[in-house]
Amino acid sequence: MTETILLGAVAYDPKVVTIWEGIRDYFNESGTPFDFALFSNYERQVESLLAGHVDIAWNTPLAHVRVKQRTGGASLSLGMRDSDRDFHAKIVVRKDAGIASLQDLHGKRLAVGSRDSTQARILPLHFLREAGVDLDRVHILPFDTDLGKHGDTGTSELDVLHALSDGSADAGAVGDLIWVLEQAAGHVDPDRLEVLYTTPGFDHCMFDALPTLSASKREGFVRSLFAMRWDNPVHRRLLELEGLHEWMPPREEGYESLIAALAAEPALAATG
Amino acid sequence: MTAGAIAVDGGDLPLGGGLLSLVRPALTLLEPDGVLAVLSRSSSVAEDLASWCRAERHEYLGAEAAGDRMTRHLVRRGRFSVHRPAVPVDPHLPERADASTGFAPNGSVVEPGGPRYPFDLVERDRVTAPEVAELYEQAVAAQWSAARDIPWSTIPRHEAALELAVRQVMTFLAENELSALYVPSRFIARLHPAYVGVAMFLATQMQDESRHIDVFLRRAHATGSPPAISSASTSRSLHSLLEIDNFTEASFLLSVLGEGTFLDLLAFVERFAPDEATAELARRARIDEARHVHFGLSHVRHALAHDGTLYPRLEAAVRHRAATLAGIGGVPAPVQDALTIYAAGASDPRRVARGHEAFRELLATMHEGRIRRLRSAGFTAEQAAAISDLHTPNFM
Repeated sequence: MTETILLGAVAYDPKVVTIWEGIRDYFNESGTPFDFALFSNYERQVESLLAGHVDIAWNTPLAHVRVKQRTGGASLSLGMRDSDRDFHAKIVVRKDAGIASLQDLHGKRLAVGSRDSTQARILPLHFLREAGVDLDRVHILPFDTDLGKHGDTGTSELDVLHALSDGSADAGAVGDLIWVLEQAAGHVDPDRLEVLYTTPGFDHCMFDALPTLSASKREGFVRSLFAMRWDNPVHRRLLELEGLHEWMPPREEGYESLIAALAAEPALAATG
Repeated sequence: MTAGAIAVDGGDLPLGGGLLSLVRPALTLLEPDGVLAVLSRSSSVAEDLASWCRAERHEYLGAEAAGDRMTRHLVRRGRFSVHRPAVPVDPHLPERADASTGFAPNGSVVEPGGPRYPFDLVERDRVTAPEVAELYEQAVAAQWSAARDIPWSTIPRHEAALELAVRQVMTFLAENELSALYVPSRFIARLHPAYVGVAMFLATQMQDESRHIDVFLRRAHATGSPPAISSASTSRSLHSLLEIDNFTEASFLLSVLGEGTFLDLLAFVERFAPDEATAELARRARIDEARHVHFGLSHVRHALAHDGTLYPRLEAAVRHRAATLAGIGGVPAPVQDALTIYAAGASDPRRVARGHEAFRELLATMHEGRIRRLRSAGFTAEQAAAISDLHTPNFM
């Protein structure tokens, strides 16, 4: 490969092109040769990273954990968004559904997001199970939209909120960001919906690379990435689109619950 | 008040039911790391406020019972949201405007991270005039209507030669006023909004010019004939105004010299008007033009007081403009002839002689007026005479 860093990202929305073209221009201007390739799903992106077709992959937590496992823990984690740290999922209920505790979910309709969405499906169900909810006694109402995008589009979470609003579900699982942003935007009727339960925190996306990534690429990437500033007009536009205030160093402990959840569901742990 | 710790009473409001409208403004009053106490009776706030804090990079510190079924939630303000310091606003215009404040009104709290705007007129002393606010008020109060305020029905059937002269004079006035409409428009888009008072005055000037164009063309068309000749030398003169990039030079050439000269021309048009409507439109236009001249003089005097190198630059701008008209002896022939017949009031030779004399007097009056205004701007008598001579063939 050349000295140009090739980054993989998944095209879950047209804005992804704007984001990475902006970051590409900024990286190149700041002295870090950079380009990107878009994938239609995280499974293909993970395989391409493992095959050495791209240097770095901008991965969801599910993709990150798969890369870690496929490399025997040797893969490099390079950075994450501030918003990726301490993510939570919410179990939101209709106030008129008669659900006052997690045990009351038994016999009720629980709307959940795509089966590859960490925040709207995998971890909320994992934590409910851990909290003693027998999921076999809950009517799961799945919204399996945008499979392969790992919940990035947020479509399935909005579907969950709609199902709650129109009464086709009694409870639903969504990420905390969608929940507060929809409230702040005035899209949630606070007289009808409330939070029953907030899961323990977990971490979200990560820049992953193979251990064979050259030191110069690694250092250039990290240097340019962490030099982005919220009060710089060019950077701010990109940071807002990507949903963060500042880039943070990597950490692994926020993925332990996901690793445990995947161990319980081997089908999800496998790639593809 | 910039507070280290403040409190808001959120009552029963849930986060998505109005609580944020109390929390967010309160946070803007705090410095980063300042603590906000949110008193609430809503059971959902603990869950939702913590998540909201994470999304906005504030820190949710926890909750404690506060009596009367109230819970006190504590939030430490992060460093990414806007800080609204409660300090008195500086009433003075900034000496140099910041390109990244864009259209934010003076004194407002400008959140960092906005784009840079392309305004390039960003120095106070190169754009403003001390009397601009007063002139703007006068302009707003003095607006009039071309349709309502001119007694159009009083225009009689004049002798053909005289009516042709009127149409020629009106054609000339209209094309000059068109240039006076377009020239300021080129600068408004470049003027930093910190000096919006100047842009607002220029907007009144453009409204005035629009109305003048309207009345001059209505008068030209009054007897059903089309406007008369637009000469190449007038066109070249006005074209040279449109080419000026520097605001003070444009203000000097257009408002001080050009519109200043027009004050005398419009007084002439009023004095020798063949009918009441023509006299009235000239009178009203002249009052508006006097305001524009006043602004131009006020600005140029202010700019000269702050930059001594401006005198030779302004003189050079006049010389440069005169050079584009080299070879043209004076006022374009159709205009000169029309003004002569206009002042004569008829084509009878004896009256034409008087008209010709009036035209010569007009040129002298214009020259004296320009010298007076140039002296008032701060030029020496010698400079003033030289500049006025160079301006002669332009009128505007």
